[in-house]
Parts: sequence; C-alpha cells; structure tokens
Amino acid sequence: MTRNTLDRLVLAGFIGLAVLLYVSTADYPGIAQKTSAKYVRFLALSFGILSAAQLLLSLRRQVPDETLDLFGRAGRFFGLLAGLVAFAVAFEPLGFFIPAAVFIPAVAVLLGYRNPLIIGASTAGVLAAVWLIFVQVLSVNLPGPGF
Amino acid sequence: MEYIAIVLAPASLLAILTGTVAGVVIGAMPGLTATMAVGLLVPFTYTMDPVLGLMLLGGIYAGAMYGGSIPAILLNTPGTPAAVATALEGYPMTRQGRGRLALKVSVVGSFMGGMLSALVLLMFAPLLAKQALAFGPAETFLLALMGLAGIVSIADEDTSLIKALLAGVLGMIIAVIGTDAMSGGLRYTFGSINLIDGIDFMPALIGLFSMIQMLDIAGQRHETTIDASILEKAQKSEPMPKGIARYMALGSGTGTVVGVLPGEGATIAAFLSYNFAKRIAGVKAKFGTGAPEGIAASEAGNNGCVGGSLVPTLTLGIPGNSVAAALMGAFIIHGMIPGPDLFAVHADKTYPFIYSLFIANVVFLIVGISVAPYLARIALIPPAIMVPVISAFAVLGSYALNQSVFDVYLMIGFAFFGLILKKIGYSLEALILGLILGPIAEGGFSQGMIIGKGSPAIFFESNIAKVMWVIILGLLTPPLVAHVRRMLRR
Repeated sequence: MTRNTLDRLVLAGFIGLAVLLYVSTADYPGIAQKTSAKYVRFLALSFGILSAAQLLLSLRRQVPDETLDLFGRAGRFFGLLAGLVAFAVAFEPLGFFIPAAVFIPAVAVLLGYRNPLIIGASTAGVLAAVWLIFVQVLSVNLPGPGF
Repeated sequence: MEYIAIVLAPASLLAILTGTVAGVVIGAMPGLTATMAVGLLVPFTYTMDPVLGLMLLGGIYAGAMYGGSIPAILLNTPGTPAAVATALEGYPMTRQGRGRLALKVSVVGSFMGGMLSALVLLMFAPLLAKQALAFGPAETFLLALMGLAGIVSIADEDTSLIKALLAGVLGMIIAVIGTDAMSGGLRYTFGSINLIDGIDFMPALIGLFSMIQMLDIAGQRHETTIDASILEKAQKSEPMPKGIARYMALGSGTGTVVGVLPGEGATIAAFLSYNFAKRIAGVKAKFGTGAPEGIAASEAGNNGCVGGSLVPTLTLGIPGNSVAAALMGAFIIHGMIPGPDLFAVHADKTYPFIYSLFIANVVFLIVGISVAPYLARIALIPPAIMVPVISAFAVLGSYALNQSVFDVYLMIGFAFFGLILKKIGYSLEALILGLILGPIAEGGFSQGMIIGKGSPAIFFESNIAKVMWVIILGLLTPPLVAHVRRMLRR
C-alpha cells in the first residue's frame, strides 16, 4: 500500500468517526445535553473539519507517492506482536514468570539471536530481577502461581 | 530544612542513586528513551512510598538525559534523540583522541543545565502555582487547549500542523470513553466493564513510547552495526577549555526556557542551544569537526529541559514534554493532582522531589566522571536481547497499575495503531497529551457551560482568559505561517 492511499483511508475513517461521534451525542441524557454533549460535539466538529481539510490537501497535492514499508520484516514484526498477545492471554492463568520464561527466549530466537548461553542468562537475570524487586521488595501482586 | 532532611535520609538517597544510575544506563542504550524508562517504571512505584517512587523516577529522568551523550560521543550512536547534537561534535573529538575531554564537557554541561533548571523549578513553580488558584473552569479549559497548542508548535515536515492537531483531538476523543462525570451515564463502553473507568493513559503511554519502539526495532530490515573499535583507541587527558562555562550557561538557560514551554522537548532544546553556540562562537570554534563548545551547549540544553518541563507539569497539570507526562502519571497514581495543591497539601512530597533533582545531578556527575567510558559498551547489547526483555517489562508495567490484563491488550493496541499513525506523520506526543488533557478540558468546559448558563462567552470574559487566548494564538501562529509558506513554495 502506498503512503498516500493509507493516509487518505485513515482520514476517511476519521471523518466517519467524527460523524458517528456527533450523531451519538443526541442520545446523551438530561444535563449532559447542556454540558458533555456540547463538548463532544466540539471535538467531533474539530476532528471532522481538520480531517476533511487534511484529506483535501492530500488530494490536491502533486507529490510523488511512495510504497510504505509499514512493518519492515513482517515475520519478525507480527511474530513479536503474536508473542505479546500470547503473553497477555497466558498472563492471568499462568502469571508473569512462566510466560516470560518462554517469551523472552522465543522472541530472541525469532529476531535472529542464536547464542543459547546469553539468551538463557538474560532470561534468568530478568526473571530473578522481577522476582526480587517487584515481588519481594515492592510487593507487586502478580497473578498465577506464586514462588 | 525538614524537606532537605527527607531527601538526605538513607532510603531517599538510595532511591535517587538507583534511579539516576538506572537512568544513565537506559539513556546509554540506543532506542531506549527517558519517556520509555519513566513510563515503564511508573506502575511499579505504585506500591512504593510516594516520595521514594517520585525520587526514583526523577533520577531516571535526569540520568537518562545525560546518559544518551556517552555512546553519542564514543560510538557516534546517540542513546537518546536529544543527544544527536552532541554526537556532531563528540564523535569527531573521540576520533582525534580527545574523547575524555568530550565526556568531561558533556557531564559538566549536563550537570550545569540540570542544576539551573532545578533551581528555576524550585523558585518559580510555587509562584506559578499560586496564580493557578485564580483559575476557574473556563480558564482550566483554556489551559488544556494551551497545552495542545504548545505541542502543535513542534509540527514539522514529518508531522504536519493539521496532523498534530488531529492527533491531539483524537487523544481527547479517546479520553471521552467511560463514565460521564456530569450525568453519571456510560459513554462508548460497548458494554465492557473494563471501559467504565475510561482508558488509563499509562498503558497508552507504555504502548506509544516503549512498545512501539520495540515493534519498530523488531521489523527493521537492516541491522545497524556499531563500530566499537574506537573504544580501544587511547584518549588523552586535557583540562577544560577556557570560556566553556559561557556555552554551558547559554545551553542551561535555553534548555530551561524551552523546557517550560509545553510540548517542546529536550531534542529541540539541545539543537537550539547548539545553534546558538555555533552562532556565538563563529568560525574559529570549528563546529562540525570536534568543538567542545557545541557539546557544552547541547548537553546543558537537554538537561536544562528536565526542571523546565516540570514547571508547567507540577503547577498547571500541563506536561512540558512526554517524559513530564509520564512523571505526571506518577503523581496522579499517588493521589497528587498537579496544581496549587502540590505546593500546599502535598508540599511534604513535592519539595523533597524537587530537592532530589539536585542530588540526581550530583550523582550523574560522579558517575559520568568516573565510569562513563565503560558505560559506552551498554550500547553494544544486541537488539534481539533488548527487545524481548523490554517487551516483557512493558507487559508487566501495563498490568501492574490496575492489575488488569485488559490494560495489556490496550498497550498492544496503542503500540500497533500508534506505529501506523507515526508512519503516516501523526504526532504521538500530541495523541498522549490529548489523552491526558481530555478529562481536564472536559471538566472545565462542562462546568464553564453550567456557570455561563449555556453560553460559550464565559471562555472569553475574564482577563486571564483573554491573556490565555493570546498565548494560544501566539503558539499556533508561527507553525501556521510556516505551514502556509511551505504550501505556497510548493
């Protein structure tokens, strides 16, 4: 996708959001009609007008378009993203330590690092530091199995 | 005296020492910024004594601002964007075998900038906070607009004026989600109990300033290799050049003033100071080939921002830059709402925090003079190790504040969509500022409308309001003129 195409799609989405936001204020109850609804309408109008102005400028501008390298190496980018989501999903049932013990080495390998000693030492160091500082010293309450 | 005693207590000194050293180390790692470090650690200070937590974060802020200069000088790899100007002169000096002098000038310049700005914060913040007592709802609303106008003034070729404004308004729209303070009704929660209290800005901050960088590094097509061979080169010892204090004073003043302006960050302060120094020094200083005057000004400039940026943050609740926004989050989670109350009701916490900034400056001065050359090696940590470690902390930090996995998803969402917005030229600083200022603006607007019986005239009536409109227009006009000029040129 080119930079201009994405830019214009986002701006069109913003205009849609501004319209929806403005329309939604009709449902605000009682006192909110005189206060919050006016504030949200002010935001919606500002957002809509600015988006429309930017879209107009973008359509009129005669600059060479370029292909947008949005995610770089997509495998690594989305691999990290998937790893994060998996980490979040596992967080409540398993806590921090077990998912982190899998996540850190897995992402390091995904990003091309192959030294098992350094990976192991880094993972162990981070887990030990979190346990010592956050669990023991700061008493941060983490979910999942205790240690 | 009582507040100084709090700062000099062993636990406080330990917190300042830990924070400052951690800040220097984080600042020395390319890709990691002060905003990222403070934002990541704010949730963890929740269970700490508020004063100690704030001192720790203040130390990180001061330390990280300085730390970025070490790899900039020794490896031509600025640890933080604010140290780019330092690399312009520092690395050529290292190549000439004058790296030790460059490091010395950098740490002393940073120290001077930090001390002056902390002094300004100590002297002027309480005075400004007193003025804030005269603010009514209308002025509070205008204050929020002023904060947004400030960040818009940094709009440049990459972040256009309209896009910076759009990002700010988008942040304010996101802040509308949750319970309406006026009617008690729920807005845009889509039936989710997680959204009843609205969107906390800490997961957003961690996503937009920490996780986004990790995603960006992970996707990089070309790995940057740092030439570390120069670290082996012998560096001679030299005394400080004559007249260098003049450039440090120039940078300190510039950095402090720039820091006070909402939205203007340390990078701008460093480059402005560098350019001023270049103009004053003339051709004889040989800028670009290793002029210590340039390092002195730019380092004093970026550390001058530390205290300066906290002036509007602590007195008006308008963050001077993104690191100050993260620090403001720390004050809020400890129940200290920025404004006049900080210097009256919470004076026993606020003043020790300000005093701790002086100690933090002394700590990094000692660290910088004694171990700076060794710290450059931190920049050599492979990104493949740094990324998963920081990501794990980002997950933990997002979760820790509200003990909510939903906040982790929010953090990931902000990082992903934030990256897309960043790539097409939107200002993430404006987005986060809008998110922070949104509730302040809404409260002021709604109460103002009630007092003004539905008429917006209330926002123009008082003398303070009129002055604030002038300031808002003053902040918006230069970028608007520049924008129009650029368009005409095209």
